[in-house]
Amino acid sequence: MEGGGSSSSWVPESRTLEEEQENADKAAREMRLHFKITRFIMEAGVKLGMQSVPIATACMVYHKFFRDTSLDAYDPYLVAMSAIYLAGKVEEQHLRTRDIINVSHRYLHPGSETLELDSHFWELRDSIVQCELLMLRLLNFQVSFQHPHKYLLHYLLSLKHWMNRHSWERTPVAAAAWALLRDSYHGTLCLQYKVQHVAIAVLYLALQCYGVEVPAHAAGERPWWQVFSEDLTEQIILDIVSKLIQLYSLDTEIS
Amino acid sequence: MQNVRQVASEAFCRLGLKPKHTGYEELTDLDAAPWPMNSLQPQWYHTLQVRRIRAQRTRSNSDPLQGKEFTQGLQWQKKGLPFGTASSYLNLEKLGEGSYATIYKGISRINRQLVALKVISMKTEEGVPFTAIREASLLKGLKHANIVLLHDIIQTRETLTFVFEYVHTDLSQYMSQHPGGLHPHNVKLFMFQLLRGLAYIHRQHILHRDLKPQNLLISYLGELKLADFGLARAKSIPSQTYSAEVVTLWYRPPDVLLGATDYSCDLDIWGAGCIFIEMLQGRPAFAGVSDIVEQLQKIWAVLGIPTEDTWPGVSELPNYKPDWFKPCEPQQFGITWDRLGRVPGAEDLATRMLKCCPRDRISAGNALHHDFFSTLPPQLYQLPDARSVFTVPGVTLEPEICDLFISGQRGLHLGRHGKRW
Repeated sequence: MEGGGSSSSWVPESRTLEEEQENADKAAREMRLHFKITRFIMEAGVKLGMQSVPIATACMVYHKFFRDTSLDAYDPYLVAMSAIYLAGKVEEQHLRTRDIINVSHRYLHPGSETLELDSHFWELRDSIVQCELLMLRLLNFQVSFQHPHKYLLHYLLSLKHWMNRHSWERTPVAAAAWALLRDSYHGTLCLQYKVQHVAIAVLYLALQCYGVEVPAHAAGERPWWQVFSEDLTEQIILDIVSKLIQLYSLDTEIS
Repeated sequence: MQNVRQVASEAFCRLGLKPKHTGYEELTDLDAAPWPMNSLQPQWYHTLQVRRIRAQRTRSNSDPLQGKEFTQGLQWQKKGLPFGTASSYLNLEKLGEGSYATIYKGISRINRQLVALKVISMKTEEGVPFTAIREASLLKGLKHANIVLLHDIIQTRETLTFVFEYVHTDLSQYMSQHPGGLHPHNVKLFMFQLLRGLAYIHRQHILHRDLKPQNLLISYLGELKLADFGLARAKSIPSQTYSAEVVTLWYRPPDVLLGATDYSCDLDIWGAGCIFIEMLQGRPAFAGVSDIVEQLQKIWAVLGIPTEDTWPGVSELPNYKPDWFKPCEPQQFGITWDRLGRVPGAEDLATRMLKCCPRDRISAGNALHHDFFSTLPPQLYQLPDARSVFTVPGVTLEPEICDLFISGQRGLHLGRHGKRW
């Protein structure tokens, strides 16, 4: 990249390593922060009565925004609040800014009084609205997303018919898969992989957790997931699974 | 408490103080466009348009100035203007007012194209209207000859402007200019394009949800474009419920009138079927005046009151109360709407689109292959998405009957084929 072939070699090794270490630290710090904020989005979303898809859209908007922007420039909690507001509009589950502010306030300052309807409150509301506009501009108005949810539903139904009833009913695979899918939005998985692949990977991990074996496709001995998605490889599944596990270790680290 | 308020308002300040951010330069208002308007007389446009109709064209016809060089000498046009700024467009005249926006005819100073500017004023309490967000986010992903093209989005402090391609009329106006039913060949071409557009959006899992003649734009050549995606949405799990109040009553299917919320592509097919009959017959298929009950009665008068046998599940719908309605027997479509019987295939296609039971309605993709369209050139089925049907040789609109009468009065020979049906 430096132009000539050997000219780049004079940079001391140690410095690059240091820089790398610094970058890795920064990335880990940001990842932890985004984890915390998406947890805020999800908890506030549940308190606001949002369904899973609007919550997923809010997380997606949030992650996409900070993929393209620096954390130093914007307050992540404000961005999260606007993401919730925007997701409500996109997914037709309309929310009032007032409710979002009250729920967020209660989340960030547990045990405190509700906010007065004073000028500060109106400023806060204007900030959410302005931030929403900024986000729309930054994301180029591309805020309708496909989510893995409908695929997961479809896969779960097919698998249920496919497997014997006892091994299916003995274990809460479906509930575990949904939980994994919801938690996957704590990270940027949703931006990196195809929705079908994410749906299959959470199902794969849920099956593994309970040691449930899926009978392979009789004729070609194809693994079950290949029937659902032609272009999926085992490597992709394992990548997604390891990122999921990383998210869970982050969870124990933070709380 | 102090905290969230503080960080939020600090962040707000930062928002305003970052002029270098992507596309965040200050924008001038539309009205404050620095270029003089007086060089653009309405008269001048009229001439341009007349010239354009005469010119033989094979490409998209929606903007009269595209590809023409006769405006080159004019001074108002400037090279190097960016997209995304209000000063790149001149506002010409107000075209109408929609539910959440005002629409102006305008002209682009970037490439001399006529454009439609949809100016959305933002109420600060609620931010950007959700219909605007949905319309923009869906249209961004749609590129098709039968879907209106979104060129550009402009943000100013108080308004949001969507820049669309300019299409000179819509089906509602077209039908009122040609009363008494349209030429069957033209109905065929319009219907083919409508279904082609619907098949495309349905493939992308998007419903239009608000089909009506006013939302179908018609260009000079006869290109039909679906517009107004404010109520459209990407459909997700089929079991998901949507909010009930969406379609204008006349074009609303019986299942939605009965309170169903689990509709899918079949919703748009019903609307398209109603428009089909209205084009041929010259009046709306089911023109209820007052309320849902009357609208349903109009439908039952032709299709008969549905029962569990003809429509499994109908009795479980919230508004299903058979004793509200006068008993009626199903009628032949060709008897209710006489013109349907006179065009081969029309009655059958309409019957397949207007089924009471949503699951029985034909899909847009299958409807395109219906016998009704068998007289059209087969190349129409091989067109790439972005190509207009009028690029196929031999595909043109026929003059409408009342246009022929007007030219006949002017002394043109009319022959013996005054009425063709």
